[in-house]
Amino acid sequence: MTDANLTAARETYRRIAANISKIIRGQDSAIRHLLAALAAGGHVLLEDYPGTGKTTLAKALAKSIDAQFKRLQFTPDLLPSDILGVSIFNQRDQEFHFHQGPVFTNILLADEINRASPRTQSALLEAMGEAQVSVEGERRNLPELFFVIATENPVEFRGTYPLPEAQMDRFAMQFTLGYVSAEEEVAILTAQEHNHPLDKLKPAAALAEVIALKHAVENIRISAELKRYVVDLVAATRAAHGVQLGASPRASIALMKTAQAMALFDGFDFVTPEQIQKLAVPVIAHRLVLEPQARFSGITARGVVEETLKKLKVPA
Amino acid sequence: MKTPPFLLFAALLFWGWQTDFLIAGATLGAALELARFVKFRWELDDTDFNRISSFCIVLNIALMGYVFTNNDTGGVNGLVHGHTVIAAAKSGALTTTRFLRWLPLTAFAFIAAQMFNARPSVPLTAISPVLRWRRRKGDNEFAGHYYNIEFPYFMVCLFAAGIHENTGSFKYFFGITILAVWALWTVRPRRFKFLAWAAALAAVAVLGIFGIFGITHTQHIIQSFNAAWMARFFGNRVDPLQTMTSMGRIGQMKLSAKIVIRLEPHEVGHVPSYLREASYRNYHPQKMTWYAGGGLSDFEIIQAENDGTTWNLTTAKTNAENINIACYLEGYSRELDAPEGLLPLPSGCSRLENTPPDMILKKNKNGALLAAGRGLMIFDARYAAGATIDSPPDAGTTNHFDLNVPTNEIPALAQVISELNLSAAASETEKRAAVEKFFLNKFTYTMWQGREKHADTNGTPLTKFLLTSRNGHCEYFASASVLLLRELGIPARYAVGYYVHETRGTGYVVRERDGHAWCLAWNRDKKCWEDFDTTPPSWVAIESQRTEFWQWLSDVRSWLGFEFAKFRWRQANFQQYILWALVPVLLVLLYHIIFRRRGKLHGAKDKKSAARENIWPGLDSEFYQLEKKLAARGLPRQPGETLADWLERALAEPALTGLRSPLQELLRLHYRHRFDPHGLPAAERERLRDEAKACLDLLLQARP
Repeated sequence: MTDANLTAARETYRRIAANISKIIRGQDSAIRHLLAALAAGGHVLLEDYPGTGKTTLAKALAKSIDAQFKRLQFTPDLLPSDILGVSIFNQRDQEFHFHQGPVFTNILLADEINRASPRTQSALLEAMGEAQVSVEGERRNLPELFFVIATENPVEFRGTYPLPEAQMDRFAMQFTLGYVSAEEEVAILTAQEHNHPLDKLKPAAALAEVIALKHAVENIRISAELKRYVVDLVAATRAAHGVQLGASPRASIALMKTAQAMALFDGFDFVTPEQIQKLAVPVIAHRLVLEPQARFSGITARGVVEETLKKLKVPA
Repeated sequence: MKTPPFLLFAALLFWGWQTDFLIAGATLGAALELARFVKFRWELDDTDFNRISSFCIVLNIALMGYVFTNNDTGGVNGLVHGHTVIAAAKSGALTTTRFLRWLPLTAFAFIAAQMFNARPSVPLTAISPVLRWRRRKGDNEFAGHYYNIEFPYFMVCLFAAGIHENTGSFKYFFGITILAVWALWTVRPRRFKFLAWAAALAAVAVLGIFGIFGITHTQHIIQSFNAAWMARFFGNRVDPLQTMTSMGRIGQMKLSAKIVIRLEPHEVGHVPSYLREASYRNYHPQKMTWYAGGGLSDFEIIQAENDGTTWNLTTAKTNAENINIACYLEGYSRELDAPEGLLPLPSGCSRLENTPPDMILKKNKNGALLAAGRGLMIFDARYAAGATIDSPPDAGTTNHFDLNVPTNEIPALAQVISELNLSAAASETEKRAAVEKFFLNKFTYTMWQGREKHADTNGTPLTKFLLTSRNGHCEYFASASVLLLRELGIPARYAVGYYVHETRGTGYVVRERDGHAWCLAWNRDKKCWEDFDTTPPSWVAIESQRTEFWQWLSDVRSWLGFEFAKFRWRQANFQQYILWALVPVLLVLLYHIIFRRRGKLHGAKDKKSAARENIWPGLDSEFYQLEKKLAARGLPRQPGETLADWLERALAEPALTGLRSPLQELLRLHYRHRFDPHGLPAAERERLRDEAKACLDLLLQARP
């Protein structure tokens, strides 16, 4: 990988980020996280209250890339075949033809994923984990760029099926958008005074450029010491107070890969401790299962990771 | 929190005044206050503070050791001599108080380091070695906490000033009240009126005064609480004025096998059977106590011969026998500030030779010799049968102490006398023989104190001993014999000391359990007091049965202690000796603290983890010098804080804004050096070195 390739990849990132931030205001760090997950080949779970811009963010990303985008609204009666596709018997040629489901796309927005039944959820999650789907005994590969943005409302809301712990682990990152400042909100209102700016959004990068970005991330170097730091960090969550189930080695992998992407964005050819620290909470926290007692005493998974970051000696 | 100006000076001055280190206190105080006037500041980091803290701790331990070994009434002497519980407690208290009194001095390096440091606070980890240890183990909970220790040091000064001699004076109380008011004035809560604040302080002061009276009063009560009884059990010192017996008590009599006296006869086999320490005249039957019949004022000083090592006790007597005695003086004379105790002497002792030259010797009418001087006395005693230094029996018939018998013991004694079947014309020799035979044939020796002799309405313990139980230990036999002899018209006294029977090499040793009581009976023909022991001879065998199998071990310890005591008391300037011996130890420790932090003192486990840490590349980066410099300026990096985050925080300081871009450039180089697996090319490495140096120079110019 030459420096020119890296520079090009960085430029791709910059353009996409700038494009999205035209629509999503005041969420620069969320955009960075989203793109880091995209570039690292992971998937993202956005958990937030309704109306904070989750869907808009996903749509803005899809529109910024000249790629195929599909949206799936999860409901309790959604079936796995509604996602993966189904073979239909054609009377004319007396044969079954496979009709691809919405999963065969580049960017998939799985809206309100926690409203579908666990059976349907797991159909999607298998596709996320393996980058392939098996329908009627036949294996079908998904496109090279396959990126899932799932959104969910916090589980306290009615009519939801919380994602099982094992499936939470499939998401490289989970983060929230949160409410923006009053000034930013006024700016949002002004932007939408006449029509939605999303309608006018033009693609900023071609699909090939995004795939090049993914390859560039793979070539970001990481030292043995920082790999060790990643492993120590993840291992520390397993021993932390109040944690029933700590983060898995998959978390270590995700943390390393997203940190590589973030290093690229930051203009480095190699990973520095900052990138690992900045990504630790979105990458690790959603994978932790807290003891009920700890949860009631006010300990949060986010707090556990933050505390671990503070306590563990960072390479300097 | 900073103290108001000159408060520390005043506190140190007060401490100096109260503990007689006035010049030291004034100097230290002035040195600390100097920090307010000079601009000079050190830039000490956490490691420096840890070293200073370690040094203070070593200094304190050394001081404690010095005070402990230097303690005349106990300390290490007490340990090797096997002191009693009370003596050990006393010496412990003495060591502690002397040690605490010097605390402002030994902690001075620490407070001075803070006062002259750029950041006026010390890291929490430097204050406690426990926290430092936890930090090394990877617990970073207390990292990055800094405290100003001016007020704690102020409190230490007040506390140390409280350890002084002038009890009963209110100087200390008024002193701390004034200082406390001064200190509290600067931090008083502003939301209350001045009057309320002053009233609250006054109330506390009044409570303080009551507290002082209360504590003094409680102390008096505790001290007077059955002091004699406590002394009996906690002290093996013989009191020349009174001896409380264990008669009438219940339980096993236990005395240790500790060696208390060593004898070396000049002629083999010529050794006295009894070594007497004191004798007593009056018996109090309710208290079961013998009294000497006089006070400490009865002791008169004996003058030594010209050489100061020879003492004539009785004149005109040929001294046939000569024995070398080594004994410990277990007591302490407050008046002379020296060890003090009774000398165990053979009967008829008339001359002491080769004593230590600085001994002070007193005697009372009952023949007790009270010596003061060194903790271990070694001397030659010349003795022969015949005249003793005891006063003869009173001449008159009224108030005749040596013939006095308590009225409630008379019925039992009369019954015994009738049992003796003495003829009216029996001579004193016959009477003594009859008494001796009576006890030998009809009584047994036992260390077990049964319920049957416990005092009740039916009679005193002595009555029960004489009439019913007919068994007991030496105090019963001696007390009964004295009273019986007196009832028979022979003047008698109660003697306390040791029985000599155990050989050791060419000499003899006397153990604490060889402690014995017997009678002194007046021989009218020879006009002298004679030892008269009615305890069955089997007592020695019974006592020796209790020998434990590890006794040889305690004997070795006792011998070591004896040798140490000989060395210690021969050395006149022993204290200086110890002080100088401590110096090299202190220096070696200091060397280790300063230069060998990661050296031999650490265990194998630490080495392993150190090796693991050292394999990472780029740890030689010059950036760390910058980090250290900035940390010393009060901008330490937290363990979980990355360099970039920390630098961002540090650069917020206005004095450093000019350094922003060079430092950030340097950090990028440093990061490449550290975290890029490809490493830094040689030219870039050179640049890192140069720029770090340039930044260091810039940093030195940018003083806060």
